[in-house]
Amino acid sequence: MLSTRLLSKRYGSLTAVEDLDLEVGAGELFGFLGPNGAGKTTTIKMLVGLLRPTSGTARVADIDILAEPEMAKARIGYVPDAATLYDKLSAREFLEFSGDLYHVERRLRDRRIETLLKLFDLHERGNDFLSGYSRGMRQKVSLAAALLHDPQVLFLDEPTVGLDPQSARQMKDILQDFCKEGKTVFMSTHILEIAERMCTRLAIINHGRLVAMGSLQELRHMVGQDGQSLEQIFLELTGSREEDVSAVLRGLES
Amino acid sequence: MDSRANPIARVVGGLAVGLLLWRAQLQMFINQTFRSRQAGRLAGAIVGAAIIVLAWSWEAIITWAGIQASSRALVGIDVVHLLSLAFLGYTAVLVFSSLLFSLNALLLNPDLDLLLVAPNPVESVLAGRMVTQVLRLMLLSLLFTAPALIVLAIALHNPVIPVVFAALYLLYPVFIVVIISVLSLLLVRFIPVGRGREVLTVFGVVLALGINLLNFLLNPALRDSGFARRPGVPPALPDIPAAGAPFLPSGWAGRSGAAVLRGDWLATAEWALLLLAVSAAIFVAGTILSGRLYLAGWIQAVPPRRRHPAAQRSRRISGALPLLNPLLASIVIKDWRMRTRDLAQLLRFAMPVVFIFIIFGLRFPRLLGSIQSLGEGPAAAMLGLVPGWVLLFSLSISLGLTAVSLEGKSIWVYAVSPNTTLRFLQGKVWSAALPTAFLVALVTLVAEIVIRPGWIWAATAILLAIAQAATVTTLMVGIGAVFARFDWTDARRMLNPLGVFIGMGLFAVITGGSALLLVISLALAGATGFPVFTTWLAAMTISVGGAVAVAALGVLFGNEHLRGLEVG
Repeated sequence: MLSTRLLSKRYGSLTAVEDLDLEVGAGELFGFLGPNGAGKTTTIKMLVGLLRPTSGTARVADIDILAEPEMAKARIGYVPDAATLYDKLSAREFLEFSGDLYHVERRLRDRRIETLLKLFDLHERGNDFLSGYSRGMRQKVSLAAALLHDPQVLFLDEPTVGLDPQSARQMKDILQDFCKEGKTVFMSTHILEIAERMCTRLAIINHGRLVAMGSLQELRHMVGQDGQSLEQIFLELTGSREEDVSAVLRGLES
Repeated sequence: MDSRANPIARVVGGLAVGLLLWRAQLQMFINQTFRSRQAGRLAGAIVGAAIIVLAWSWEAIITWAGIQASSRALVGIDVVHLLSLAFLGYTAVLVFSSLLFSLNALLLNPDLDLLLVAPNPVESVLAGRMVTQVLRLMLLSLLFTAPALIVLAIALHNPVIPVVFAALYLLYPVFIVVIISVLSLLLVRFIPVGRGREVLTVFGVVLALGINLLNFLLNPALRDSGFARRPGVPPALPDIPAAGAPFLPSGWAGRSGAAVLRGDWLATAEWALLLLAVSAAIFVAGTILSGRLYLAGWIQAVPPRRRHPAAQRSRRISGALPLLNPLLASIVIKDWRMRTRDLAQLLRFAMPVVFIFIIFGLRFPRLLGSIQSLGEGPAAAMLGLVPGWVLLFSLSISLGLTAVSLEGKSIWVYAVSPNTTLRFLQGKVWSAALPTAFLVALVTLVAEIVIRPGWIWAATAILLAIAQAATVTTLMVGIGAVFARFDWTDARRMLNPLGVFIGMGLFAVITGGSALLLVISLALAGATGFPVFTTWLAAMTISVGGAVAVAALGVLFGNEHLRGLEVG
């Protein structure tokens, strides 16, 4: 469903992503993890066609995103980390607009909008301007817009930021149902607990390079210690050293 | 010393915060220009500096020539009154800019929270803002007048002149900035959350219109009312007799300035010290008062109005436009909603019409008489195009050039959608050209009805206006795409100055060329005996054809630029 080969992105002398090889199958809920600045968002932006890779290839929904971007984008849903929406449109109007952008037939579009607004508990405030929405509500509108055209692959960049526990749980259920239909979710997150509970497979990226990929069990084998939490695996693979942090903090106190 | 308990410490803290903010602003300016390492910005900074040097040289030459002429002619000019008048006029600018700056700082600038969470008293933060504003105003004043002051210093052998004027520029704005800042704190209590930008825009426009209208109504220089002018005031300047009154700060600044020009140190110091004392007192009082106002609840959380679903549904556009494909219709409707619901955008849209009224309406009887004296025919019909062109100039820039940048950070919504950039641009062309063509046609229709050049000439002129509105707006959308900005937070930054410059230039070429062609068509008909209507239609066809070609090129360039753009 999704694959990359030697995918790289460089900004002058800075390498954001280097030689990334990924393989994600249909029906997978794939977690993409990494520390701040590791290259997660850059990778997602290349996969959804917002950034052009410096080198390498990427296929999404089995379509080359570089060669046939429009065809690939029609099968992609994307939820950015901080979705900038049109403040002066209502949620319903924004979804109508989004449906038109993806060429969803009008009656089907309107039916889906009502379903999605109800699903995300936004039905009551569907006619309010987005400027009055909280971050979590905007995130829900953004997800609803991404689902409206029934994509094959859903990309989510930090989807749970700003969501209350109830909404986060709701999102988890929606994503799992989405995957049960044989569709793919590619999700970046900082919240390792969510990744551990939700994702079927995981990839960890650090300094733009892939350091591990597989199921949680496979990652445990990789670090050689069964029973470890994802957090411990993540810290081990990304080289974060707790003792150094403690030393620095002690230094600040003195 | 606990600065929270000591008012003087709060004021001193305000000065420190102000200087800190000023330093940060200077750093940002340098980083964005000279240290940006971007060729475009660097070139912009160099061109800007060159223009300033050129303007300074010109100002210095004019001042020198003026000094030479006045020394020969021995004209008796009342310098005190002239300088007081200048300071009073400057007051209007100060009120206007301070109000915008204060409201902007309180409602829109994202750094207010950052400053308030720092361990500084509220008073110091608010005073710091005032200090920054005063410093900025002083530098602006110096930017405009420094060459003249230096030339005066050389000519009058008095090197202190620039220093004294710099001090006056620093002191004079204080009382206005402080009063306006305190008033702004009161005012923002009544502005609903999230409506700051709209309210700010309305204020700006109302103030600009108000000042212009007052100037038009009250300024004797703009009226032939036979007002008795004071001796020593050149006829080209407006006269407000109270400007130099000794109880007004404009009078103090004027007297101090005039005194330094004639080398009277004592009078210079007397009036400058009076200004200093009053400014300092007002600054201290304003600082303390602003803190109290803030702590009393500087902003009432007036919630944004909830929309009533029933009322809203009844007003909704159906989501389809006849003859337009659903995607393009969707872009047109979305842009229409964005522009009409955002007061700032709506004003961009409405202001040209207001200015058309001011430009033509106030001089209507005299203009109409002159045009109607031409009688029926193509010449009168052509003059009927002028209001439409003025409107087109304004609307094509405000709607066309901003059409692409209007998306701002939401551009990702298009970028991830399965549509080509050309399709997106087509939607933008429709969204800008439809309202522009409609309004231009309407204004031209009204002009032609009033002028009455004969229906056939009027009809062709209206057709030409519509065609030009469509093509020029299309061209502007293309230019706007080449110079698109998506990272703006303030709608005023949507426009790229170079884009505006190129757009204005091409507008002048298209409309000027069109007018020239129409004039040539009339001359040709007269010289060769061809029917006027034939040559007129030929000129129209060439004019519209040329505009279509330029517009198509503009869109193609815009499309190429957008295709190469990464919005990540």
